[in-house]
Amino acid sequence: MGREKIQINEEFWDIMPDDYKDLVNHSTYGKTDRGWKDVGSSTELIAEHSLCAGCPESIAFRHIMASMPSPEDTVMVGSTGCTSLVFPMVAVHNIHSLFGNQNAVATGLKRALNVRFPNKNKDVIVLAGDGATVDIGLDMTLQSWFRGERFTTICFDNELYANTGGQESGLMQKGFVAKMAPVGKKFEKVRLPEIARESGCAYVAVLTTSKPSLVERVVRQAVLIAREIGPTYLQIYTPCILEIGKQSMEGLQEMRDAEAAGERFKFREFITPEAQAFIDDMAAKKKAEKLASAAN
Amino acid sequence: MYLVAHVDTSICAETACKLCTQFCPEANTILYDNEKKTAFIATDRCKACEICVSICDNMAKHSAIKMIMITDIENPFELSKSGFRPAEWNSMVRPKLISEKES
Repeated sequence: MGREKIQINEEFWDIMPDDYKDLVNHSTYGKTDRGWKDVGSSTELIAEHSLCAGCPESIAFRHIMASMPSPEDTVMVGSTGCTSLVFPMVAVHNIHSLFGNQNAVATGLKRALNVRFPNKNKDVIVLAGDGATVDIGLDMTLQSWFRGERFTTICFDNELYANTGGQESGLMQKGFVAKMAPVGKKFEKVRLPEIARESGCAYVAVLTTSKPSLVERVVRQAVLIAREIGPTYLQIYTPCILEIGKQSMEGLQEMRDAEAAGERFKFREFITPEAQAFIDDMAAKKKAEKLASAAN
Repeated sequence: MYLVAHVDTSICAETACKLCTQFCPEANTILYDNEKKTAFIATDRCKACEICVSICDNMAKHSAIKMIMITDIENPFELSKSGFRPAEWNSMVRPKLISEKES
């Protein structure tokens, strides 16, 4: 799909809903320099959804949708969980996979897109919760990294199964007592970022969504590296305010606390030398372009 | 009745922080008018989570956003009816508190 495919046939213009016309007229499809700075003055690629008031996951969704390098050439693969409540409201092609199968589905999709559009950059982004990525779909997640499949895996880590009432998940912190896990977790949080690094990911980052500029940089890098070099993995902390017993306005502060020095979501990233060289090269090209345009 | 966020445009226009537009969990709910340099709320999309209030009070320290009853606003901006038309925002009649009008 390209930008021209999003345009409405003129004869249908008068019967299309306003929301769709807004997307065509005021969205950021096709802009190479799109980012979170456009938020607030352009139509976002995500509409009214049914997540709870103040859910940090919806902040993360907004930031990710605003930072994708080329949404019109992106396909997202989702899985079961709260994210699947948002995907119907997202103006990017997306597939809902069976619980845990998201990386296997994305593998097939990416290969098919490469065959169908050999001369185009088609991005595939997997976006699933921690249950789908680490517990139920760990097999598919790891195998896709072992094979070096070129797509981005984003894990929304809320440290439990929030959608079903608060059961224990592999990414839950040790000792945490949830509503449906009253004994408390007995083993450590699974170190998936380190596992990803060892499994062949070219770029791995752990972050929260409390800084849009950081999310933008990380998501852009992850998608661009996945295009050229190899699999990338992002783990984003999106606390479930209901399950950890917070008020709707406290989600942001919770994320800031979790990313303080020494806490479990302190920003850290791992990048292979090859991927770093690619990013440096791209930054140098961009700078040269800027200088050239300034000189003109 | 229910609460929605309301931006005091006279305070907001003196700053250009845009923090509330970045951290609102709902898409296209806090909009930013680049001409008048002020944020404003699409009341039909606001879920009243109060994140914007705590950001405006604690992070930005402007205290321009308050939670008020939906019935207390005159001509609230509804995105589903008005559509996303940045070109018209400059000439738009701003949502106002009914109490402000009387005084």
